[in-house]
Amino acid sequence: MFLARKLVLAHFWVAFAAFLGAIVLGAWQMYIRSPLSPWINNPEHYYRSVTAHGTVMAYVLPTLVAMGFGYAISELALKRPLVGLRWAWAGFGLVVGGTVLAAGAMAAGKASVLYTFYPPMIGSPIYYFGVVLVVVGSWIWVALMSINLRAWRKENPGATVPLAMYGNLAGAYLWAWTSVGAAVEVLVLILPASLGLTDTINAGLARVLFSWTLHAIVYFWLMPAYIAFYTLFPRAIGGRLYSDTMGRVAFALFLVFSMPIGIHHLFADPQVGAGFKFVHAAMTAMVSIPTLLTVFTIVASAEIAGRLRGGTGTFGWIRALPWDRPMMLAVTFSFVMLGFGGAGGLVNMSYQLNETVHNTQWVTGHFHLIFGGAIVIMYFMVAYELWPQLTRSAPLPAAWLRLQLWLWFIGMLVLSLPWHWVGLLGQPRRMAYFDYRHPALEPQAWTVTMSTFGGLILAASALLFVVILARAHFKRAEPVAFTFGVAAHPGLRPPFALNGFALWIAMMIGLTVVNYGYPIVQLALLKEASVPIVPIGSR
Amino acid sequence: MAEPAAMSWRNPWVRTSVGVLVALTVVAMLVGFLWLPSAQADFSAQGLWASICRAAGAPSSWASATDAARTAPPVSTEVVLERSMARASGSDAVGRGATLALNCTMCHGAQGLSGSDAPNLAGQYPEVVVKQMHDYKTGKRASPIMEAIGKALPERAIADLAAYYADLPKARTAPTTYDEPLPALVRVGDPMRNIAPCISCHGGVDQKFGTPWLEGMPKGYLVAQLEAFASGVRRNDSQAQMRNMARAMTPGEIQEVAAFYARKAGSGERRH
Repeated sequence: MFLARKLVLAHFWVAFAAFLGAIVLGAWQMYIRSPLSPWINNPEHYYRSVTAHGTVMAYVLPTLVAMGFGYAISELALKRPLVGLRWAWAGFGLVVGGTVLAAGAMAAGKASVLYTFYPPMIGSPIYYFGVVLVVVGSWIWVALMSINLRAWRKENPGATVPLAMYGNLAGAYLWAWTSVGAAVEVLVLILPASLGLTDTINAGLARVLFSWTLHAIVYFWLMPAYIAFYTLFPRAIGGRLYSDTMGRVAFALFLVFSMPIGIHHLFADPQVGAGFKFVHAAMTAMVSIPTLLTVFTIVASAEIAGRLRGGTGTFGWIRALPWDRPMMLAVTFSFVMLGFGGAGGLVNMSYQLNETVHNTQWVTGHFHLIFGGAIVIMYFMVAYELWPQLTRSAPLPAAWLRLQLWLWFIGMLVLSLPWHWVGLLGQPRRMAYFDYRHPALEPQAWTVTMSTFGGLILAASALLFVVILARAHFKRAEPVAFTFGVAAHPGLRPPFALNGFALWIAMMIGLTVVNYGYPIVQLALLKEASVPIVPIGSR
Repeated sequence: MAEPAAMSWRNPWVRTSVGVLVALTVVAMLVGFLWLPSAQADFSAQGLWASICRAAGAPSSWASATDAARTAPPVSTEVVLERSMARASGSDAVGRGATLALNCTMCHGAQGLSGSDAPNLAGQYPEVVVKQMHDYKTGKRASPIMEAIGKALPERAIADLAAYYADLPKARTAPTTYDEPLPALVRVGDPMRNIAPCISCHGGVDQKFGTPWLEGMPKGYLVAQLEAFASGVRRNDSQAQMRNMARAMTPGEIQEVAAFYARKAGSGERRH
């Protein structure tokens, strides 16, 4: 790496320090509402904790990981120093500054709005300014990634963009467009109300705008994990990537289909028409295609590695895989969690089935399994892969890594599978306490206890993760040169459209206009949609 | 970015990708806006165009004219709570209110702290006083004395009274710490009976706009009001918020929470 070493390290350390704090809050939340603890006397403390946990896990951690990994990819894949290093530090400063502002407002109890910005609940303006700064900082990253690719193209006219950089840019462009929804919501609707300039808010419009961001942001979180699947995994297990083009297709399809589908979060909202809800449900189903393409390609890449290592027969190659390598373990765990979580997600996005699980603990289980499980476990691997480069340290101890990954996998299943089950039974999400004495609830109490233990295991795993990273700073050594995975047929030129983004971005924007245009205009013009605001912590 | 040829219609990737996406969107729209609504009698009752409009979220009319219950719902209060009601008033308003309040001292106490079972008004949130006086004025809340007084008061006088009482010190009590054994209904409510904790609106955890300050209120007043809400005699709470809470409470619980708020009486309540 050339210039970005300290920059990437700073991004990762802030991300993982915040992550460790947020996971302690999460574990506390699980404990305080379980039968192991008496009812919390002040539910506001619980919601304050949920707000902080969600804000860090959903905005701060993935944004910083995507940014840091993006800068690293830019230098490692393009093999040239990062353009705009000072701007990158400025973007980092904005993200950190925004996080500090938001954290202050949350800690003071002035912003217990549960991190989803759903009006008419309105928190302190400081909280929203903080979130806006985080987003603006990330926009600098988007611009820098685009500028770096352009500079590389100028030096290498007609060359194929490395797959890692292609995925990186897909994530950046996706984020740039998806963050527009929440940005408009905060700047046009929420901040004026939060600053006291108006005392009503168009709640229906705000919710639709938030849904614009709410689902596609998940795919922004997911991009670093997918880049790791395609470009780190094949090399780490000693194999080849089955198809480089398939990776590009997956990234391009994510760009097109992850964006205009967010209304499936609003199935229970009366202000959106049933027709649009169905169209969004159908488009959400399309997202399963790039996911399944990826699972197929990565498993095929593992098969190549297994056969290169002497595995034979229909299943013999599986036994020949290097199971002692952390990456092998992590991707396996990730796919298992992606499988359960993805199946659950198909239930969420189905207009009819959603009625059963809407706003239940099932939903919390779903996104913990997919994001906290399948994606974050790959964030760990991204950090582990880059760490020797970033800290100029010896290879990390594989046994510790395996223990950490096992703990995370087991902890996440123990946490989230009971949530799925009890969600089907009807347990609402976002409750500070449950009355376990009630005969209808008493038989379900064990699920909350079990999730508490899952939370504790996850906290232990997170602590181990941070310890492993910190320890590397004291084990200095010259690292082995970093390489990305190689395709089975290196040098094949992908189709022209898959070496650029113009077509996919045009389709993304076009589909957004078709799927969101009418609901937004209609609600913006609807007088009845304005309701009085409910300020949080104002008295 | 890609070269111009990449975005040309002659490029088969562009033709195929855009064509498939348009076809997918059209099919999804046909299903969502035509086929599925046709299976629902209430969607398709008013013809094809009306059914498409409903599926788009824009019914031609938001309620049918014959639906009398929707056009004339029971109105519990005519007061719209506005944030502006809570803004601090000038000292002139407080002064005028103080003069007007001389009429109120017989029941509500010289300093707004009642010696009888009338509610304390000292330190009460201004929008609370405004709302209750308006409800008395319009007959939404019943009291032979207060309705008569309310009808005689112009808007300005009500606002001034609210400003004056908000300006007086509350019946301050020892601050609530969450370690003390508060009654369960006050602290955590009863989720399975849909009773929210008192402190989630009346101060403690949160103070919702329009909910009164209760600490130090006479017990007799609190019991009477909870019973009135439970029986439906009092119904000026918008969206039946308090009626729904009180209806689910037992007489014993009404006594318990009333005693809790009343026991926290400040020195101002000392009988003369």
